[in-house]
Amino acid sequence: MISLKNIARLWQKGLVRNLQTSSALQHDALFVHRDTAEDNPDIKFEFSPENLKRVDAILAIYPEGHKRAAMIPLLDLAQRQYGWLPLSAMHKVAEILDLPRMRVYEVATFYTMFIRKPIGKYHLQVCTTTPCWLRGSDDILSTIKNHLKINVGDTTCDKLFSLSEVECLGACVNAPMVQINDDYYEDLTCDDMIEILDELKDGKRPRAGPRNGRYASEPLGQPTSLTSEPPGPGFGIRSDL
Amino acid sequence: MLRTAAQRALNGAFVSPKQLGVLVTRGAGDAKKPAQIEVFIDDKPVLVDPGTTVLQAAALVGVEIPRFCYHERLAVAGNCRMCLVEVEKSPKPVAACAMPVMKGWRIKTDSEMTKKAREGVMEFLLVNHPLDCPICDQGGECDLQDQSMAFGSDRSRFTDIDFSGKRAVEDKDIGPLIKTIMTRCIHCTRCIRFASEVAGIDDLGTTGRGADMQVGTYVEKFFLSELSGNVIDLCPVGALTSKPYAFTARPWEIRRTDSIDVLDAVGSNIVVCTRTGEVLRILPRTNEEVNEEWLSDKSRFAYDGLKRQRLVSPMVKVDGQLQPVDWETALIAIGKKIKSAGSDIGVIAGGMADAEALVALKDLINKLGSEDVCTENPFPVNGSGTDLRSSYLLNNTIASAEEADVVLLVGTNIRLEAPLLNARIRKGYVHNETEIGVIGPQVDLRYDYTHVGDDPCSIKDLENGNDTFAKCLKNAKKPLIIVGQDALNRPDGSGVLLAAQSLAALIQKNVQDPQWKVLNILHKVAGQVAALDVGYVPGYEKLKDNSKLKVIYLLGADEAIERSQFPSDCFIIYQGHHGDCGAAIADAVLPGAAYTEKQATYVNTEGRAQQTLVAVSPPGLAREDWKIIRALSEFVGQRLPYDNLDQIRCRLEEIAPHLTRYGNVESANYFSQALALALKESATVNKKPISVTQKSLEDFYMTDVISRASATMAKCVTAYKTQQCSKY
Amino acid sequence: MASIILRSKISPSTVLKACSASLSTGAPSFAAETRDINKSICLKEAPLIKKEVGLMKREDIIQKQQHDEAMITIEKPSEVATFSGVPEEHIKGRRVRIFVPPKNAMQSGTDNIHQWSMQFDTRERWENPLMGWSSTGDPLSNVEVNFPNKDDAIAFCEKNGWAWFIDEKAPPKPMKPKSYGVNFSWNKRTRVSTK
Repeated sequence: MISLKNIARLWQKGLVRNLQTSSALQHDALFVHRDTAEDNPDIKFEFSPENLKRVDAILAIYPEGHKRAAMIPLLDLAQRQYGWLPLSAMHKVAEILDLPRMRVYEVATFYTMFIRKPIGKYHLQVCTTTPCWLRGSDDILSTIKNHLKINVGDTTCDKLFSLSEVECLGACVNAPMVQINDDYYEDLTCDDMIEILDELKDGKRPRAGPRNGRYASEPLGQPTSLTSEPPGPGFGIRSDL
Repeated sequence: MLRTAAQRALNGAFVSPKQLGVLVTRGAGDAKKPAQIEVFIDDKPVLVDPGTTVLQAAALVGVEIPRFCYHERLAVAGNCRMCLVEVEKSPKPVAACAMPVMKGWRIKTDSEMTKKAREGVMEFLLVNHPLDCPICDQGGECDLQDQSMAFGSDRSRFTDIDFSGKRAVEDKDIGPLIKTIMTRCIHCTRCIRFASEVAGIDDLGTTGRGADMQVGTYVEKFFLSELSGNVIDLCPVGALTSKPYAFTARPWEIRRTDSIDVLDAVGSNIVVCTRTGEVLRILPRTNEEVNEEWLSDKSRFAYDGLKRQRLVSPMVKVDGQLQPVDWETALIAIGKKIKSAGSDIGVIAGGMADAEALVALKDLINKLGSEDVCTENPFPVNGSGTDLRSSYLLNNTIASAEEADVVLLVGTNIRLEAPLLNARIRKGYVHNETEIGVIGPQVDLRYDYTHVGDDPCSIKDLENGNDTFAKCLKNAKKPLIIVGQDALNRPDGSGVLLAAQSLAALIQKNVQDPQWKVLNILHKVAGQVAALDVGYVPGYEKLKDNSKLKVIYLLGADEAIERSQFPSDCFIIYQGHHGDCGAAIADAVLPGAAYTEKQATYVNTEGRAQQTLVAVSPPGLAREDWKIIRALSEFVGQRLPYDNLDQIRCRLEEIAPHLTRYGNVESANYFSQALALALKESATVNKKPISVTQKSLEDFYMTDVISRASATMAKCVTAYKTQQCSKY
Repeated sequence: MASIILRSKISPSTVLKACSASLSTGAPSFAAETRDINKSICLKEAPLIKKEVGLMKREDIIQKQQHDEAMITIEKPSEVATFSGVPEEHIKGRRVRIFVPPKNAMQSGTDNIHQWSMQFDTRERWENPLMGWSSTGDPLSNVEVNFPNKDDAIAFCEKNGWAWFIDEKAPPKPMKPKSYGVNFSWNKRTRVSTK
C-alpha cells in the first residue's frame, strides 16, 4: 500500500509515469487489428501490373517450396505501392504465397518498418539516439513540431507529413539527421529542416545527403586521411615473392 | 566432453575397444537399430537412442525437468527456457527439451547453476504475470504455481511495480468455449503449435515482439476447430480457460471419475469432474491407443446438456397427455401392454444404448418370442452383413492411423464424425508423409488430400486405374481404407461395401505385415458396434409400416424416429434420458440414465470394449437402463436371470467375451470370407455422388440428444454462423 | 501380514519373508514417504521376528514343520469384515475399483500418479438445503485408499470382504526421440511454420 505522501514524493521526483487512459496510436503500438474506415478487409488491394512483374521477379529468387521467404519483400512492395500496409495487402500477400494469413500478420507486426496505419506522404523519421541527440536532434524535432504544428506520431491534416522518432539510423557521423521515406537528410540545422519541409510541401524533392556541404561522411574541407594516391600492387610485399 | 569420454574408454587399460560395442542393441538380427548412447543424469547412467533429448533421457531415469513450452505431442519450441540444466564442462546451461544427448554427457539437474537458471526464468515469468491467482480458474492446477513453488525463489525483487508496472494485454474473443485473459499469457506458444500442427487451423500466432508480444488471432476471429478445447488443457497458466466452466469450482473440491465418452464412436477416455452430484466439467484421460490426450469439443463441453430436458419420472399417456407416474404404475401399465402384444413387439435401439441394456432388452424380447430387435442406425445387411465382425469394425485400430502411408477415406467427413481419428491421420500426414485420398464430397479436413472422386464408382476405378493415387495405393506398404456410414447408408450401400472390400483385398496382397488390416469401417454413434456384436439387426426398415406390430420399444432412439413410421394403434415405449423426439411420440416413457450416471459397457468403432463409471446419480426417479428392463421383465412375467452388475456382465460374456475384456481390441479376421459372401450377392453401385450428413462445423455440434440439449453447443453453432458472415 | 501367514506354512523362513513385506499392509498412504519399497527395507530397522519362532531350537523347528504338514491349511484370507464394523450392505453390495489415478490434463505434474488407489462405486450426493454442502447417505463415499502396488490393494479388499475389479495401468508408451532439427527440415511436412 503506497501512502499519499509516498505518491506525492514520487511524483515530485518525476519517477511516476502519468496514467494514460488511451494508448498512443502510433502505427507500431497496436498489435491487434481494429477495423477502421480506411483499413478493413473490404477494401481491395491489388498489385499494379508493373508491381506484378516485380512480384514474379521476387518470387523467382527463392527455391520451390520456400516461396515463403518472399514475404518481407512482397510486403515491402505492397507498402511502397500503397503508402502504408493495409490489411488487404497482407491478405493479398498471403494469397500469393499460399500461406495462412496469420503468418503474414506475424511478420507484418514484428517489424516496425511495416506501417499498418495510414501515414502521410512523407514519413519524417527523426533519429533521437545518443549521437544525434548530443548534436541537437531535440531542436530538429521541435522545429518540425512547430513548423508543421503536429506532435510525434501525428500526421498533418493535409496528409503530407507524419512525424516519428526512431532509433539510430546509422548516420551518426552526420548527426543530427532525419530520414524522409528513403532519403537521409543529414548534418541538419533548424533552417535546413524548415527548408526541406517547405520544398517537400511544394512537391519538389530536396537534395538528400549532408546539408553542410561535405560529401557523405568525409570531413569538411580536405580529407584528413587517405590523402595520398593508393599504392599499386606489390606494396609492402617482399620483392622476391 | 566427447573426447575425454572416448579417450578414457580407449585408454585400453579397463575397456577394450571391442567392449565399446557392448552398448549395442538387444534385438539380434535387428541391424537397422542404431547403437544406444550412455549418458549420466544426476550420476544415474541410462542408455538412450541417439537423438534423444536431455529431457527425454531424464524422464527415462525418473527425473522430471520442469518446462512450460515443451509438450511431447507438439513440436519442440525451446522458448520458455525453464528446462535449462547444467551439463558438465559446459559454460552455459542447455535447454533440455531441444538438446540431443551426446555420449558420456553428465547432466546435473540439481546443481547450483541449474537451480539458479530455474529461479531466474521463474522470476522473469512472474515479472509480468498478473496477481490473478484468487480469480484465476487455473489456480490449484497451474503449472506456473507448481513450478514457482518447487523451483522459484521465495522472495520477489520486483520493485518496478511502483514505476512502470506490469504489462497488460487485451483479452481476445476467440469463441464461446475458450475464455482468454491474455495478460496471464507467458508466451509458451503451446496453443499456437497445437492449432497449427494438431488442429490444422493456423489462426493463432504471435503479433508484435518483445514485451509487446501478444498471442492471438490479430483480427477478430473465432478459433473454430472441433479440437479447440484442448488448448485449455495445454495452456500452462490461466490465459486460456474454459468459458462454460469459468468460476465454478476449484480443482481440490472436485471428485474425478474415469469414464468413457459416448457422443461419438471413438470412445475417448474422459475424466468426469463432479461436485455435489453435478457434473462440472469433462477432461480427457490419456489413452495412447484411442485419443492420446485430446478430446473433441462436443465431448468436452456438452455436459451442460445433461441437466436440461431430462426425463426424471416415468410417464404414461393418460387422455392423450403424458402424465408423470410412479414406477410401479408405469411398469404395470407397460407390462400389461407387452403381455397382450404376445410376440408382436419390436425394439429400436438408439446410438447411446449401452451393452448391458441392449443385452437385457434382447433377452426379454427373445423370451417373448420376437426377433425384431433393430438399431436405429442402418448398416448394409446384404452381402457380408454383420455376421463377420471385420465387416463393421475399424479393424486396424485408431492408433495405427498415424503409421499408415496411404489413407483412402470413402464417404466420410472424418473431421466431424471422429475428430480424434482425424487428428491421428493428420499426425501421420505431418510426421509420416501420409498420402490421403477422399472419395465423396470435398470437405475441409485440415490437411491436403487428393480428391479421387464423388461417387462410389471411383472405388472401382481405383482398382483398375492407373492415376497417381491409384498407383500410390497399390504400392503402399501400410494402406488404410476407411469407409464411413454415409457411404453405406445409401440404397446401394452393400455395393459400396463390396467395392471397398474387393479393393481392400487387392491391396492387402502388397502389405507385408500380416497384422495390418486394410479395410476399416467408421461408425458415428457409440452404441452401434455393441448392438451389432450382441445380435441386433442394423436399421429398422422391417419395423416400419409393419401393421402387425403392437408394441415398439425405443431404447434411446431419437434421431430419425417419426410417429408415422409405425401403425397408429401401436404402443410406443421410450426408455432414455432426454426428452427429445423419441419421448415426444411415446405412449409410455421410462427415464433412464445418461452415460455419466451408469456403469455401462460401450464398444467403440474399433471393437474395443470400455466401461463408463457412475460419476453422479441419475436425476429424479431415473434408473440405470438395464435395471429398468430387469424390473419390467418381472411385470411381464418373463423374469430375466440377472440381478446385479456382475451377473449381467456374465451374460454379456456368454454372448460375446470381448464385451467384458475392457480396454483390449479383439482383432477381427475372415476378410476373404466376408468378401466371398459379398460377392455372392454381387450388389452394384449407382453413380449418385456420396453426400455426407455433417458437412461443416455447425453440423458437428449437435448430433445427439445430449448435445442438442446443451446451451454451450448452441452457442458454438451461433458462433460458427457469425464467423461465416464475418469478413475474416 | 496376518493373511500371508495364514496362507503359508509357518516356518522361520516364511516368517522372515512375511516380515520384510510387512511394511506394506493396512496403512492408508505410503506413496508420500517410501515410494521405493526396496529403499525402505534398507532402512536400519530390526526385522520383526515372532519371538516363539525366532528363539526355537533346531529340533523344535523340524518338529513344528512336521506338525504343520500334518495339519490342513485353509487358503483363506483373514476376515476383517465380520468385525470391522462396516454394515453388511456396504460389504456385500459395494464394488471397489482399483486403479492408478490418471494424470490431470491441466497440469504437467506427475506426482499423483505413482500409486494405486481404490475407490467405491459412487452413490447419490445432493446439496444439503441448510448450508449448500454436499450430503450423501453413503458412509464409504470419501474412502479413497492409496497403495504402492496392485497386490496390496487387492489384499486389502479381500481382507475386508469387498468385491473388487481392477482397471489396469496402461503400459508405458515407448519413447520416441524428439528432435528440434525436424522443425527446419527442407521439404518435409514437419517443417514448422509457427514460432
